[in-house]
Amino acid sequence: MNNRFLISIFSAAFSAVMLAGAAFAEVKIGVLVPDSGPAGLFGPSTRHSAQLAAAEINAAGGINGEQIELVFADVGVPPAEAVQAALKVWKAEGAEAFIGMHDSAVREALTGLFKGGVPYVYTPVYEGGACSEGLYVTGETPSQQLAPVIPFLMKKEKVRKWYLIGNDYNWPRDTNALARGYIDDAGGEVVGEEYLPFTVAEFDSSLQKIRQSGADGVLITLVGGASVGFNVAFASFGLDQQAIRLGTLIEENTLAGIGADNANRLYSSAGYFSAIKTEAARDFATSYSEMFGEDAAPLNSLGQSAYDGLMLLAKLGNSAGSLQVAELEKVAEGISFESPRGTGTLTGRHVAQTIYLANGTGGTFDITASFDSVASAEACP
Amino acid sequence: MATLLILNILWQVSVLAIVTIGLAVVFGQLRIMNMAHGELVMIGAYAPVMTSLLGLPGYANIVVCLVTVGLIALLMERLVIRHFYGRAFDSLLATWGLSILLRETVELIFGRGYQSVPQYVPGTFSISGTDYPLYRLVVMAGIIPIFAGLYIWYRKSKIGVEIKAMVENPSLAQACGINTSRLSAGCFIFGALTAGVAGLLLAPTIRVEPMMGLDYLIRSFFSLVIGGLGSFEGLFIGVGIIAGAQSTLGALFNQTYGYLFILILSIVFLWLRPDGIYRRS
Amino acid sequence: MVSIAGLSAALLVTLLLVPELFGDFAAYQTGLFLIYAIAGQGIGYLWGRTGVLPLGQAAFFGISAYASAHVLLSIQSIYLQIACFCLIVLTAGLLAFLLAGTVFKGRSDSGPYFSLITLALAMIAEQIAGTATDLTGGFNGLSGFAPIAGLDQFGNLYYLVVIAVVLSTLALLTLERLPAGLVARSIADNEPRLLLFGFKTHWIKGAAFALSATLAAVAGILFANHQGIVTPTSSGFLLSANLVIWTAVGGRNHVLGPVIGAVGIGYLSSELRDSVAYWEVILALVFILVVLKVPGGIAEIVTGIFQRFYSFTSHTVSKSVLVPPSWQGKPAQSLSFTGSRVRAGSVTVLNGVELVTPKQGVVCIIGPNGAGKTSLLNVITGGLRLVEGELHYGGQKIHNRPPYAAVKSGIARKLQVPSVFSSMTVSENLAIAMLAGRAGFTDFFKPSTLRWRSQRLSDLLATPGIPLLDGIHHRVSELPQGHRQFLELAMTTASAPGLLLLDEPCAGLSPAETRHMTDVISQFHEANGGLILLIEHDMSIVRALADHVIVMHQGAVLAEGSFDEIRANEAVKSVYAGGTK
Repeated sequence: MNNRFLISIFSAAFSAVMLAGAAFAEVKIGVLVPDSGPAGLFGPSTRHSAQLAAAEINAAGGINGEQIELVFADVGVPPAEAVQAALKVWKAEGAEAFIGMHDSAVREALTGLFKGGVPYVYTPVYEGGACSEGLYVTGETPSQQLAPVIPFLMKKEKVRKWYLIGNDYNWPRDTNALARGYIDDAGGEVVGEEYLPFTVAEFDSSLQKIRQSGADGVLITLVGGASVGFNVAFASFGLDQQAIRLGTLIEENTLAGIGADNANRLYSSAGYFSAIKTEAARDFATSYSEMFGEDAAPLNSLGQSAYDGLMLLAKLGNSAGSLQVAELEKVAEGISFESPRGTGTLTGRHVAQTIYLANGTGGTFDITASFDSVASAEACP
Repeated sequence: MATLLILNILWQVSVLAIVTIGLAVVFGQLRIMNMAHGELVMIGAYAPVMTSLLGLPGYANIVVCLVTVGLIALLMERLVIRHFYGRAFDSLLATWGLSILLRETVELIFGRGYQSVPQYVPGTFSISGTDYPLYRLVVMAGIIPIFAGLYIWYRKSKIGVEIKAMVENPSLAQACGINTSRLSAGCFIFGALTAGVAGLLLAPTIRVEPMMGLDYLIRSFFSLVIGGLGSFEGLFIGVGIIAGAQSTLGALFNQTYGYLFILILSIVFLWLRPDGIYRRS
Repeated sequence: MVSIAGLSAALLVTLLLVPELFGDFAAYQTGLFLIYAIAGQGIGYLWGRTGVLPLGQAAFFGISAYASAHVLLSIQSIYLQIACFCLIVLTAGLLAFLLAGTVFKGRSDSGPYFSLITLALAMIAEQIAGTATDLTGGFNGLSGFAPIAGLDQFGNLYYLVVIAVVLSTLALLTLERLPAGLVARSIADNEPRLLLFGFKTHWIKGAAFALSATLAAVAGILFANHQGIVTPTSSGFLLSANLVIWTAVGGRNHVLGPVIGAVGIGYLSSELRDSVAYWEVILALVFILVVLKVPGGIAEIVTGIFQRFYSFTSHTVSKSVLVPPSWQGKPAQSLSFTGSRVRAGSVTVLNGVELVTPKQGVVCIIGPNGAGKTSLLNVITGGLRLVEGELHYGGQKIHNRPPYAAVKSGIARKLQVPSVFSSMTVSENLAIAMLAGRAGFTDFFKPSTLRWRSQRLSDLLATPGIPLLDGIHHRVSELPQGHRQFLELAMTTASAPGLLLLDEPCAGLSPAETRHMTDVISQFHEANGGLILLIEHDMSIVRALADHVIVMHQGAVLAEGSFDEIRANEAVKSVYAGGTK
């Protein structure tokens, strides 16, 4: 191998890189995903959904004629470390906008970091009320998941007495505060409300209370592993005969962990399920498995939300003709975008969207009902 | 409803006892604070998952569990643990590292997702008008003879005597022709296997995922602290107090108070009665 | 002194170069790691020096961070803010001092239990932080405040962090050179000896824990300023564990170890977490290897390399400083046991000892093995409890006291197996001995105290045949057994005690050394006077030294009298069936 040969290889490689750069990488978008920590389970599906969205956006001409490139960072870590990761993507990599799929503590830290200096789309389901300049939220808030669903279920399953159980932190408490109102309005009553620490591994005393209360509906705002453990124990006591269950964060992975035996009369309310049968949702699922293979991380509402986040961002950027927060703010209110979830409309920084109620009986979700254009009561003024 | 509370406490005691026994053996006999104990429980709970991946029938669970956990324990003992006998604090750090390693390895192989383990014995049994999971009753009925057997075996058998000799005076035991290196390894592997079996037994009643071990470790550790480190009697007292207090306070108030109470109780014991309630004479 | 200044200056310059060389982002990132490093330095000091491993340091870190968040949220005046921060640090230190002092009181073996207590505290702190939403903002934390004095989190706040880390390094390095640091270090080495020197070790551990909590609190305050948000993760189990890992990998025995650990691992983690799938596995492996092979961490490797090229053994023999008189040197009293009984489990160790010693002179205690000779001394120094009977020294009741109380009555003790500080040099051992019974509180913070040397100690060291002066800068662990016997004798006699308890001082000595030892003992007695209680098997030594002999048998006094009387005693003969050894 002589030198000239080496040089020609290098120069070819170099020009290829330059061309690729010119053709593809003009706008960098930071995508903050949980690769580690308790939410690490959702890392792969979030990445994939974001990649799929980026491919579709680029195929449609990018944002303002510029191709987008995703820069991923792991934010499944405590807020202090998450801020560092985001800062690196922002300042060192030069990202011009952010998509975030992470918990609320990290969001609070990141809004403190960005301070409206860069557009930031927060995508997972959350308790609502996050309002600051440059922040747009696509995820479902409690009012969206519950306002239409509770009256519907109470009628359909003849539920009157609700027991509310969740982990001991902000999201479950805020959700249940709202739920009490909807239950009251629909003529039901709340017979128990309970919060468990994250460390809890046994649910016997809660199950005993649920049995004693005579509840015929249980609203579950336990997260992750606690939700799996609770539901497994719930069914083993035969409580699935006594009460239906409704969860606002039971997605496909959690249901798989609960198992077919334990999922009888278990409902879930969310903006997305892989079981949605609309054309848009089926096309999305097909592209997803074509792009990442049949064995790719299963689709779920949290992972898929990154797709919605990017779609909203692209729509905002294209409408404003820029990714400057000041420009986006001018066009944001009322903007609509299409996603597998249906049509989403940005109102008060939050997205009015279709909400689906799914039944997990048998270990896979079936869509029981859908409610179009549900607005968030927690949207910003 | 009192029946239900009593059954629940009994179940919690049984579960905690079977999880803690291995930790107690390893700490009591080898002075190893095994922070990776919870991960061994976790690997035991993955046994049914492995069995079904290998396409083996359900009754192979126990073999898969013992072989996997046994091999891992043997590797742990030979490569790391044996350097730390009698050095409680260094062992705590080393096994903390091991616990991260085991967790990450399981994650790489099986992914982060939750695994669903089908119920071995489905159905409920009605006791004085209350439905109670049949499987729990079977496990509780099985655990009592197992513990009784272990207790008698430890008291009467030659190995029991050798272990006691080794604990009292390792170098003298060695001089008396006891192979302390093999005995220690045996002790550690035994402790690990009980953890694996605990995981296997618990698998259909809990969530199964790589991070699950930590839940069990903390409660077991504090049971040991309260009961007194390294004796059968103390173990049951400690387990009874922790499980009883948590179930009762959980039923009366809420689980958060139950959890805080256990932590505070542990602090009081560590401070005033660091040898626990039950002292060996 | 030069090395303190040199090391701190090097650290300062390196850290000040970070923003210049690598930009504000790197400085912001380094700032966070340095904040963790300050908390790590506290852990390193406590763990490396006093042998107590704190597993819940994030409790102090997190609670201080929450408190600081409230200060920044609700107080406008910068002076008031600074005052509040000082108050937070002081409170953390005081609480830690009381906690550790209380837990360690009355038992010196609580180390592992104490670690678990701190762990439980961190878990409680995390649970409350996540649940008490009104106070802490719950899971989402407290946010919406700006750093103190209008500093910029991403800019000049870094310099405040640098100042803090350099100051804590300077403080810890200085402490190492002070008598207080020496005493703290000796706890991990030989706590029973320190107790016999009259040090209340539980309060020393309390002080060391207070120091580490203070550093954790400083770090917590900086963290709140630096992050602008405080969440439950900053007070919990995982951060506590990480702080320990960083300290262990960086090196717990060196002030800069935790800095290396926190900055190094922190930086590598942030770089490699995204790109290397196995990063957590690698980190776990590194940690296991460190615990297994290099307990001193990276700092140990680095100092090892440095020492290969540059020898640090430049011991300047400084001039001794005259010492204040020992408040131990009280005139000797008569020791009287009445009906003293001691039980250990089911065995009766002392079975009704009746004994009144003379006020002056050398009293030898002889008797077969298991007769209760050492137990008798243990009762005097508080190691064993009387279940019945009494022990008086002069008019004072002295049984069942904590071990550190003996010194107050002018009682010093040399143990059977030489009990010295084996990881330290001979001169350091002697320095601690000189502190015993002499140093007041402020003396522990004056470097000159370390050069205290009484005339008598100088004379003793200069005595021909005493082998200590040659190896005065050697580590005691390198000394042969006989030298350690002399060292311990020198240490116990340094305080000029009225009552000196010697347990087989000639065990393991050559005949020549034995002669030197007996000479030294009688010289000490001539000069100092007082009472010496000496346990001995060798009858030739007893004959040479004893003014009075006590024979013990089966936990009681069998006979007493002069050497010749004892030799003629029939009861003694029947027990001793052989007489001399």
